[in-house]
Amino acid sequence: MTDFSRVDLGHINLRGSAEDSRFVDGATKVLGQSLPLAANTLTQSLHRIYWLGPDEWQVVTESDRAADLVRQLEAALAGQHVAINDLSGGQVALQLTGTDVPELLARACTLDLHPSLFGVGDCAQSGLAKTNVLLGCIGETPVYEIIVRRSYSEYLLRWLRQKTHSRAGSVSS
Amino acid sequence: MLLIACPYCGERAETEFSYGGEAGIARPKDPHALSDEQWADYLFMRKNSRGMHRELWNHAQGCRRWFEVERDTVSYVIKECYEIATPATSRDNQSRAD
Amino acid sequence: MQTNRLDTGGRIDRSKPAGFRFDGRKLQGYTGDTLASALLANGVSIVGRSFKLHRPRGIVGSGAEEPNAIMQIGNGASTCPNLRATQVELYDGLIARTTKGWPGVNYDIAAINDVFGRIFSAGFYYKTFMRPQSLWHVYEKFIRRSAGFGRAPAAADPDKYEHLNAHCDVLIAGGGPAGLAAALAAGRAGARVIIADEQNEFGGNLLATAATLDGAPASDWVQQTTAELSAMDNVTALPRSTVFGYFDSNFLTIAERCTDHLPAIERSGSRERVWRVRAAQVVLAQGAFERPLVFCNNDRPGIMLASAVSTYINRYAVRTGERAVVFTNNDSAYQTAIDLQRAGADVAIVDSRRSSAGATAAIATGIPVLSGHVVVDTVGRKGIKAVRVGRWSGDATQTVDATITIDCDVLAMSGGWSPAVHLQSQAGGRNEWNDELQCFVPGESPQENRVAGSGRGKWSLSDCLEDGLGAGKDAASRSGYTPVDVEAPNVDTEEPASMEPLWRVPASQPPDRCPKQFIDYQNDTSVADVRLAAREGYCNVEHVKRYTALGFGTDQGKLGNINGMAVLAESLGKSIPEVGTTTFRPAYTPVTFGALAGENVGELFDPVRTTALHECHEAAGAPFEVVGQWHRPWYFPQPGEDLHAAVNRECLATRNSLGIMDASTLGKIDVRGPDAVEFLERIYTHNIGKMSVGRCAYGVLLGEDGMLMDDGVMARLGEQRFYLTTTTGGAAAVLSWLELWLQTEWPELDVFLTSLTDQFSTIAVAGPNSRRLLMKIGCDVDLDNAGFPFMSVRDAELAGMPVQLFRVSFSGELAFEINLSSSDAPRMWRTLMQAGEEFGITPYGTETMHVLRAEKGFVIIGQDTDGSVSPVDAGMSWLLSKEKDFLGKRSLSRPDCAREDRKQLVGVLSADGTTVLREGAQLVEDPHARQPVPMCGHVMSSYYSACLGHPIALGLVAGGRSKKGETLYAMQSDGSSTAVKIVSPVFYDPKSERQND
Repeated sequence: MTDFSRVDLGHINLRGSAEDSRFVDGATKVLGQSLPLAANTLTQSLHRIYWLGPDEWQVVTESDRAADLVRQLEAALAGQHVAINDLSGGQVALQLTGTDVPELLARACTLDLHPSLFGVGDCAQSGLAKTNVLLGCIGETPVYEIIVRRSYSEYLLRWLRQKTHSRAGSVSS
Repeated sequence: MLLIACPYCGERAETEFSYGGEAGIARPKDPHALSDEQWADYLFMRKNSRGMHRELWNHAQGCRRWFEVERDTVSYVIKECYEIATPATSRDNQSRAD
Repeated sequence: MQTNRLDTGGRIDRSKPAGFRFDGRKLQGYTGDTLASALLANGVSIVGRSFKLHRPRGIVGSGAEEPNAIMQIGNGASTCPNLRATQVELYDGLIARTTKGWPGVNYDIAAINDVFGRIFSAGFYYKTFMRPQSLWHVYEKFIRRSAGFGRAPAAADPDKYEHLNAHCDVLIAGGGPAGLAAALAAGRAGARVIIADEQNEFGGNLLATAATLDGAPASDWVQQTTAELSAMDNVTALPRSTVFGYFDSNFLTIAERCTDHLPAIERSGSRERVWRVRAAQVVLAQGAFERPLVFCNNDRPGIMLASAVSTYINRYAVRTGERAVVFTNNDSAYQTAIDLQRAGADVAIVDSRRSSAGATAAIATGIPVLSGHVVVDTVGRKGIKAVRVGRWSGDATQTVDATITIDCDVLAMSGGWSPAVHLQSQAGGRNEWNDELQCFVPGESPQENRVAGSGRGKWSLSDCLEDGLGAGKDAASRSGYTPVDVEAPNVDTEEPASMEPLWRVPASQPPDRCPKQFIDYQNDTSVADVRLAAREGYCNVEHVKRYTALGFGTDQGKLGNINGMAVLAESLGKSIPEVGTTTFRPAYTPVTFGALAGENVGELFDPVRTTALHECHEAAGAPFEVVGQWHRPWYFPQPGEDLHAAVNRECLATRNSLGIMDASTLGKIDVRGPDAVEFLERIYTHNIGKMSVGRCAYGVLLGEDGMLMDDGVMARLGEQRFYLTTTTGGAAAVLSWLELWLQTEWPELDVFLTSLTDQFSTIAVAGPNSRRLLMKIGCDVDLDNAGFPFMSVRDAELAGMPVQLFRVSFSGELAFEINLSSSDAPRMWRTLMQAGEEFGITPYGTETMHVLRAEKGFVIIGQDTDGSVSPVDAGMSWLLSKEKDFLGKRSLSRPDCAREDRKQLVGVLSADGTTVLREGAQLVEDPHARQPVPMCGHVMSSYYSACLGHPIALGLVAGGRSKKGETLYAMQSDGSSTAVKIVSPVFYDPKSERQND
């Protein structure tokens, strides 16, 4: 069985050079945890930080902490070539739990989600049911987090409900 | 459906990518110094290779990075995928518009 | 009565009878039967009429190659046409109908075609119905009626279908001896294996053979092996699953039929599942097809492939006749003779070879063998009654006279074997002619695969098993696993496997005079047709295929392909490898549209994007317009209003007081970095460096060809920070275009681009009262003209919410665009609606937006432009900087872009002041000119303007700017024309005073 729910979280997009220690150290200090520098990985501690590309990360945190974090990052990285954007209003996080989740996602996602290849701490940007998603394995069982653009979220929830024959996830804003 | 090795994210299905046409076409440094023929050559003429072809792909559903692919247009076998900036591409760095 | 059913044997379950209907007749078979075996058990000999000549036809094969028994299965919306009875599992309640012949297969009126068969030769349709061309629509109706197999259901498909993406180390196509052996080897090595077989049980020919392995029936080994495979966690075994497509990078598609074998009441879940498999390594173990032999009247019901006759006896306990003749050019059919004899039939063998090991063995068992003989012709219209046999010289140029007649009710024929090279060909592999084996075998492949077993000419069972094990080990080791030793079972009696080619039996008359010698039963292609094509100059096999229909339909080169190539080669005086084969394309066997569509139907057909305000619009009762994937409110009807009434009201309300609109679908891009100005200068046409912080500009970007690509508002939020908007449809393309230049051409520029399309919602408030509204709800910035002039942007707090406030206008009115977090957008919308009540605030949709902007002559890129419109054409020369280069600038001075008579943006007014022109209508100077009438332009946008009280339109007209005041004619769809006047495209407030109010 698969359970899924919509989770109210804060989302921050962070751009900067992974090779610039001033940036990496500055961001690490504010965030209180290291940026994942290896492709397709995420770190979890105070927040979840997803690797999105060689110079791009996504910070997922409690919803009421995002604005503060953005201010702190801006202050700490002032004068550097970086971009910090609060995307809390533009992204929706869903969490799915259950041993069937990989097979459920395989219905409309071309990633190989075999537990031996995509375990806790792995992430990927890919397509799910023809929408762009950020997918991360964030817990044993497994627990998956799917982050999708807000405009596609109702459609993706409809897809999930149809596949799981469930009414879950219908959180009104 | 091709399996394309994004230099940043690894092997992914073709559906995650968009195609950008022939690679290695440097923008002329001063377009206005060119004759109409020379400009048209840059604008329209492509190798349309039968066999190995250097082309641009964008990992649209992934890291949004553009990169180069060497692909056989007959067998569709991909020989190599690499970052734009690597020396392997030997791009014309003199071709800036500035 | 199952008159042909044997009392014992076979893999049918005699305790589970299954009743079914065949063309209305009630018949009975058993669970384990196919529809074909059940029909044969019941003595049904005619299952169809041939395509062109309407000759009665019977079951020929026992699998995918079956050309004649093409059935329509089921009733109503779930009915499925085009199914081979040999591949349809029998279940209780199955309903089958034949698909050719009217009124029925036993008596078919169109069989008269056979009498005139000589007329219906290759290219008949091309030659006969082409002239006069004007009558084609008459011919077509009749041809269409008599063409095709079965009917598509008229109602919507009630069944569910699904797709599943899968990954494996080793995909094995085919679960016969070679495939199972490969799966065993790869599975034991630990590789992730998927093995798929199209039949209900694994085993392939092992289920239909009398051979024994390690002293036990071959099916014991099958059972043991499948049990071991299904116990392995790393192996997925898929029965009823056809690998139907082999695409690039080892991507293969499998159609799994989940419920079609079950009685209707037992079906649940998806009917079919398409597996989309990415495999590191592939083993193709699809086996081989037996070839028919080509002689006169070789299509009579009762003439079957020898292997099929054996399969019906051994697997289904059906003996298809009592007096059998086996006609062969190779040893494999001798086993059929023995199977027939064991099943109690009288058997005689006609072998074109003078001697063979098989003949020696057969003679020892008492079966008469006519060596060095061939079947020349057959007797029996609705079922074979006798064969006429003659002595074979071994030379196809010498005719054979029939000297012997042998009575029979079944003729088992074998012309040798052809490997099923379909998937290997789809993979891009070459097929090579093998002279020793007399067949095409798979050659080099560009993909990571290998072929095992009879699919590459390994005819003997022990070779197949060994080959499969080898392939499985190789595939496992190439995907990184250490192979383990697996022993093949011992084949107790090894069958000889020699053959001598026999492509056609020359009758005493030439092929176009003698009775038809069929090569492709399904398409009625005969030797005479192929020879005619060659005589008429067709020498390329692909052309001959299309001219004669050889290998069309469900056949796709399975049955008659090689015989056809051989006959063509002979006609052209070439060798078979010189002629080559046709191209094999997906799908290997027909796949239903339902399976291909999967779950991408109904509300999941295409992703739907909604704005944060969607629920507000739904509550207001707005119908939605689909723009890209967005669903945007189209208009907001009040009770009793239609589109036009609502739009007229919305337009007037906005111009006279206050309108509000959801513009959230605009693309939004954050541009940051020390080189942001330099980067944007190179992309956009206007001067960016001159923009001061807090100012906005309308900007367009061009392709390098100089044509308009997209437009939007650019706001300078800081020295190194800009905010761009794009058109709704262009958002993704523009971001990708910017990234392309940044990453490939100008990587030295330090700029970051981030999409904010979803983060920000955009609410436009427009009209003379818009400023008052914002002041009313509380705004912390000065909104008057001095503090906040037109084309400015401010960070503001509005009604307590942080916003980016733009003073821009797409309506020509005093207007503001409020950009704010999508989380706050619904609250802001409700606040504005409530506060705006005193001004009669009127929400408007995309239609009113279009009218308002058209009144101002503002183009919409993609509606008023089509990729061939330059900014000069669109009257935007004022936007083009003279001080810098930008993408596309050089193209604007190309001779074609500088022409005076290019199509230019103009306003178009109908002369009568009432006609709303059709969008897309062509504009001409003289509607009565001789055809073809020269066209000088067209209408792109056309509306009724309630503010002006008359219709307006925007058009593109050749040299239009110098044609102002002239009269042209707009062509209507009924051929009539309307006089129109060419005017300025700005219809309303030409001095643009209102937006600066």
